[in-house]
Amino acid sequence: MTGITRFAVLACVAIASSSVIAQEQAQQSQATWQRMYEMGLANRTASDLYQTLKQAAGGGQAAPPFSQLPDWSGLWTAGGGGSLFGRSPGGTRPKLTPAAAVEVQQGEALAAKGVAYDENLSQCGPPGFPRWLVIPFLREFIVRPEQTWLSSETVNNVRRVYTDGRSHPSPEEAFPLYYGDSIGFWDGQKLVIHTNQLMARSMGRNQPEQSEQMETVEIWEKVDAGTIAADVWIYDPTLYLEPWYVQRRYTQVPNADASLRMNYWHCGENPNNEVFKTPEGDTQYTDFTFTGDGDPSQEPSR
Amino acid sequence: MIRALRLTVFTAAAFAFAPAAEAHHSGTMFDDTKEVTVEGVVKEFQYTNPHSWLLVDVTNADGTVTTWGFEAEGPTTLMARRVRRGDFTPGTKVTITGHPMKDGRPAAAWTKGVRADGTAFYPRGGAPEAD
Repeated sequence: MTGITRFAVLACVAIASSSVIAQEQAQQSQATWQRMYEMGLANRTASDLYQTLKQAAGGGQAAPPFSQLPDWSGLWTAGGGGSLFGRSPGGTRPKLTPAAAVEVQQGEALAAKGVAYDENLSQCGPPGFPRWLVIPFLREFIVRPEQTWLSSETVNNVRRVYTDGRSHPSPEEAFPLYYGDSIGFWDGQKLVIHTNQLMARSMGRNQPEQSEQMETVEIWEKVDAGTIAADVWIYDPTLYLEPWYVQRRYTQVPNADASLRMNYWHCGENPNNEVFKTPEGDTQYTDFTFTGDGDPSQEPSR
Repeated sequence: MIRALRLTVFTAAAFAFAPAAEAHHSGTMFDDTKEVTVEGVVKEFQYTNPHSWLLVDVTNADGTVTTWGFEAEGPTTLMARRVRRGDFTPGTKVTITGHPMKDGRPAAAWTKGVRADGTAFYPRGGAPEAD
């Protein structure tokens, strides 16, 4: 086609998502990772781990005054992508149930062939938790005595962490939620969170489905002026034979001129972003408005 | 204007697909082993979530015009990477590079844009030293 001045085959294929995750994990030593991992192993359930941490914190602080809360203001982000079934900094992989192991293997084979579709985000659905931990775009963390909001720009989600001393809803009143129900306490400058009531759904592209039995424990802490780290233990007996531990880091986004803002985000606002799942299970764009191949107001050709 | 075919070793950071990797959709419809560059005039910059589209009119040898679409992340990601809506107003002469779609349609994952004044933009991140 005239007008094309270059069409070059690149010398290497550089997909950064796995590298980004590797880089983030590399910020934590294997020894530290191992110690945190073993904290999960020492507690049979997420609730047990939460209670262990609460006891170690002398019961923790509920609704501490503003003056005692950390400053998590500003905008934050993380390298997106990655899997909650990946390797530790030292190469340890989670011990999975046979069914989950097969699904992870099949998913990795599809990903290696470049086949992927997003059952949630591509149809404007929420990422849900714990996938929320690995999504990109901007985040804002609103810290108040009685609750902390962990928000993400992606599909405008907010995780509310109640730190006023309340408990989870009783089992009779509990029902599955995309982001679950989160309660927490403060241990000095660390926010400790327990989440249950999670919904059974896909954990991401080419990844297994989590169950309603999943529960998590997190410890959030600002480890330096520009970094907030989240230590996360994931318990789900349908997936993990042993609780799995990951650390995610969120870095502050420079915004000196205050031009960046969290905005409402909907995936249907531009018809050029509409995608569909191919018979092969891959992702493809529908007709574009700019090619003149179809009327975007009509059903897309598939 | 650079017209020579160039083989370039890119670092992972240069083609940081991380946001796209977990954004609204998978990026598998683009061929990230290939690169296409077109010269044209900005028709419209759709500064939208979760993906933006830079539409560029490219005049072919026979005088016909093909509109190419270059896909990038949403506004806040672009703003953080110094790609502002006002940088690509309609009529701006540009040279745009991206990973083309596998199915041959005139669209690509936008990786670099250079205006006629020489200013370069990297909507998917990647420092100039990687180029």
